[in-house]
Amino acid sequence: MRKSLLNFLASAALSFGLAGPVVAQEAIKIGQIEAQTGPSSYLGFMATQGAKLAVHQINQAGGVEVGGKKYPIDLDSPDTQGSPQQGLIQLKKMLEQDHRKYILGPTLSNVFNGVREYTRGYDGKLLMFAPATAAHPELGKPGYGFLLRPVVFDTAPEGFGTYMVEMLRSKGAKKVAILMQNDAFGRFVVDIYKDSFAKAGIEIQTHWFEASTKDYSAVLARIAAWKPDYLFPGYTDAALYDIVQQATQLGLTKFWLVRGSLGPAIRNKASIDEYIAYMPKYFEEAEKTDPKVAKFIKDYKDFFKVKDFPYDLAPLLQMASYDHVFMLAEAMKRAGSINDVAAVKKELLSMTYDGLWVQKFDSVGGGIHSYEIAEVRRGGAIKTTLVKPGSK
Amino acid sequence: MRVLLLVLCGAVALVPALTANNVVLSVLTFTFILGILAVSFNLIYGITGQLTLFHAAAFGVGAYATHLSMAHWSISFWLGTAFALGCVAVVSLLLGIVCFRFRLKEFYFAVVTLAFAEMIRLGVMNWHSLTNGSLGINFSLKPSVWLPGAGALVIEGPVRWYYFSLACVVVVVLAYQLVVNSWIGNAFKAIRLNEDVAASLGLNAFRYKLLSFVLGSMGASFAGGLYSHYMGFVDPHLLDINQSLAILSMALIGGTGSVAAPVVGALVVTALPHLIDLNAEWRLLIYGLILIFTILLMPQGIVGSLRRLRKHA
Amino acid sequence: MMQLIAGQLINGIIVGSLYGIIALAVSLTSGITGVVNFALGAFMLVGAYLTWHLNETYSVAFPFAVILVMGVVALIGLVADVLLFRHTRNNLINGLIVSIGLVSVIVALVHMTWTSTPQNMQPFVTGVFTVGGVVVPKMKLLMGVVLILIVSMTYLGLTRTWMGRAAYAYAQNPEAAALMGVATGRLQVGVAAFGAALCGLAGSMYATLYSLTPDIGALYMLKGVEGALLAGIGSVIGALFGGMLIGVAEGLGSVFLPLAFNDAYGLLMLVLVLLFRPAGLFGGR
Repeated sequence: MRKSLLNFLASAALSFGLAGPVVAQEAIKIGQIEAQTGPSSYLGFMATQGAKLAVHQINQAGGVEVGGKKYPIDLDSPDTQGSPQQGLIQLKKMLEQDHRKYILGPTLSNVFNGVREYTRGYDGKLLMFAPATAAHPELGKPGYGFLLRPVVFDTAPEGFGTYMVEMLRSKGAKKVAILMQNDAFGRFVVDIYKDSFAKAGIEIQTHWFEASTKDYSAVLARIAAWKPDYLFPGYTDAALYDIVQQATQLGLTKFWLVRGSLGPAIRNKASIDEYIAYMPKYFEEAEKTDPKVAKFIKDYKDFFKVKDFPYDLAPLLQMASYDHVFMLAEAMKRAGSINDVAAVKKELLSMTYDGLWVQKFDSVGGGIHSYEIAEVRRGGAIKTTLVKPGSK
Repeated sequence: MRVLLLVLCGAVALVPALTANNVVLSVLTFTFILGILAVSFNLIYGITGQLTLFHAAAFGVGAYATHLSMAHWSISFWLGTAFALGCVAVVSLLLGIVCFRFRLKEFYFAVVTLAFAEMIRLGVMNWHSLTNGSLGINFSLKPSVWLPGAGALVIEGPVRWYYFSLACVVVVVLAYQLVVNSWIGNAFKAIRLNEDVAASLGLNAFRYKLLSFVLGSMGASFAGGLYSHYMGFVDPHLLDINQSLAILSMALIGGTGSVAAPVVGALVVTALPHLIDLNAEWRLLIYGLILIFTILLMPQGIVGSLRRLRKHA
Repeated sequence: MMQLIAGQLINGIIVGSLYGIIALAVSLTSGITGVVNFALGAFMLVGAYLTWHLNETYSVAFPFAVILVMGVVALIGLVADVLLFRHTRNNLINGLIVSIGLVSVIVALVHMTWTSTPQNMQPFVTGVFTVGGVVVPKMKLLMGVVLILIVSMTYLGLTRTWMGRAAYAYAQNPEAAALMGVATGRLQVGVAAFGAALCGLAGSMYATLYSLTPDIGALYMLKGVEGALLAGIGSVIGALFGGMLIGVAEGLGSVFLPLAFNDAYGLLMLVLVLLFRPAGLFGGR
């Protein structure tokens, strides 16, 4: 708390030409701009936690060893509160005042839109791991060479969306009703899946709701009258718990979703028939089968001093968090430098990292990673299918 | 007091010469732009005594109208701003007529303005073909100012934006001050003190409340155009209720007694989150405590309290 | 189509009763303390989370949890009133802003205690009634009945008991009531606590029906205010009807028009009513 106030005053003083004491040993400076509070905070929360844990583990081992020297990581992770204005000012501070070259986030599209113009042209001086869907169209464009998007694009050939729509088609589904949040992400999702559904010969009906809605009785009654094969609800647990419960009361029992946890399915297991969801990872099961995941969960609970691991939120770690800090460290080792951004980027784009997930980047910086598709049946039985990149 | 003010103005004008720190310049630029927003709100609330929750809607509509007119008709920023001022003037005129003709008082007025703001927000969110809905619109058009000798200067980069927004807030504050110092301003203040007495003395309260509401909302529209061009994008969050509440906080913290005081509030609200980097939830907690303590212990706001201290000193 | 309409009418009335109980709290507290307390929505939030917590973590049976929560939230309302709102009596704007500050404080505390991860309680009663193709979840029906009962009891309490009639008298004419020996200070604190308890109840009902996140208070607060203004501040049964009307407007609106504009249907109706009856449908002091 006070450290930041002093930092600000010190840097303000320095920038006014007053001398100050020269500080510490050289560190790898990473910034993270995510929303830790506010309605979309669940997206930023896990990313922040994962990054903190990764940095702690690396620093505990002495730091990142590059060219014979060990460098600790200095992570600054302020809260954007989901505000583009806050995010912009925080990013300016990170890039111009603290001279950070590596940025994790933003995951929120509106924050990315706020910083988009400011960052354009930062090629060669910055690497930004931005999971925001609004970042996708800019990958590889001139002026955006610094941009990486660690999440696979839904409807890319390697994407889970492509896989899942094919799944739906092979189950013989002909009508899908979409019930989606009327926000940037919801609009984006419907835009990209519309074409996929059309190609698969599936007829869709789209209904929008305000993100704060809790009672879906009217729209669900209308949807039920249309008799769809599946309901495609979106995309936050806050909405899914209510949609699934209320939908099953009206006889809609088959769900297919591309974001969201299994919590709503398990809570309503007695009334659903099918609940198919994209899960970056089903942590409850992975804990039992993958020692890396088990160790991570234990480390998380020890470091953050909590009794319960947030299984429902953990899949969000895939985005720009734990694994990516280690990937960055590894890329620096291989490049032999902590400041040569171009060299580090080159290494990132040519490596396959096997951490909690198998992760890599394509030639323009788009993400490719392993994922799971979970199917929950009536009664609560869960079947997960692991899909590895390049294995389709 | 005047000397202090001049010194302050001098300091503010010299900031870019003393620091190249983009963060400081950005925070101050946002302060000036949001200062316009808070000052225009205070014309309606602090001076005329009407609590409006429509201000964020005027802010957002101004932003969208400025950009859309520039994008569709290839006009300059100033023409776009004029168009937006016109749009917001019409909307607030209609809303004001509806509210004040039916003599909606105090709390009812606040809720009805809020209701209209919400309905307009939902409209903006759902009119995809015009506003691109919740995806918002990204753009890189910038305002340009014609200066004698230098020709047309495009406002880009931290220093130019700093001076540009500073000039804008100074002009707006002076304009409002002129209004408040005139007989129109006296009418506003009379309405705030006691509308019924003012009316019984022959004042056409309806006309002046309407004028105050329209003039204030137009200020918000201008701020909206500036804000969106500085950030390079518009989205429906500009019209959120929380934005209206933030504006209210700025006016309260700065002080509602004078025209320019809300700028101080804008500074506090904009700069504070960056000075005190607390855990996210603590920040929300402290924000709430500041609101509570400002009202209970410092109702005149920062500027008002300083004035009172000076008087007693 | 008829089924859709009938279904939404019933759902609207039930969902509206939840709005109505908050509207009642708004109406009572603003009538007696002269201030609209936005923190009532935050009290509902606390009530919801506490109910969930007691039920999930301590396995307290739902009915007991509700009563316990009402007591706790009433206490919170009492403390808030004594510490804060006592200084803003009849100063509408100040009270409003203090209450907005209080909301931030409460939401921050809820955030710190339970994080923003959405939570979901098992409904106290599961299953649905199906009558002629119209589906009504049993828990919703139960909630509707309980809330209508509470409002009726409040009405009786206000009109039949001495304390209640004192409150009424105070609302009509504060000076006269004080002269008649009504302990106005204690009355105001008492009403504040009762209003908070009502919101605690609303929170409990909410928790057993819908998912919990730290931002739910704001939405219901707005609906409660809409309901109170629609009915007119000062009318007890009216507040319930006001809430129900908002609920029905939203439900029917969403049948014929997009759900995306859900909130607008109630707002539009409120605005129209206020323009022609500025004191509300049942108001008039």
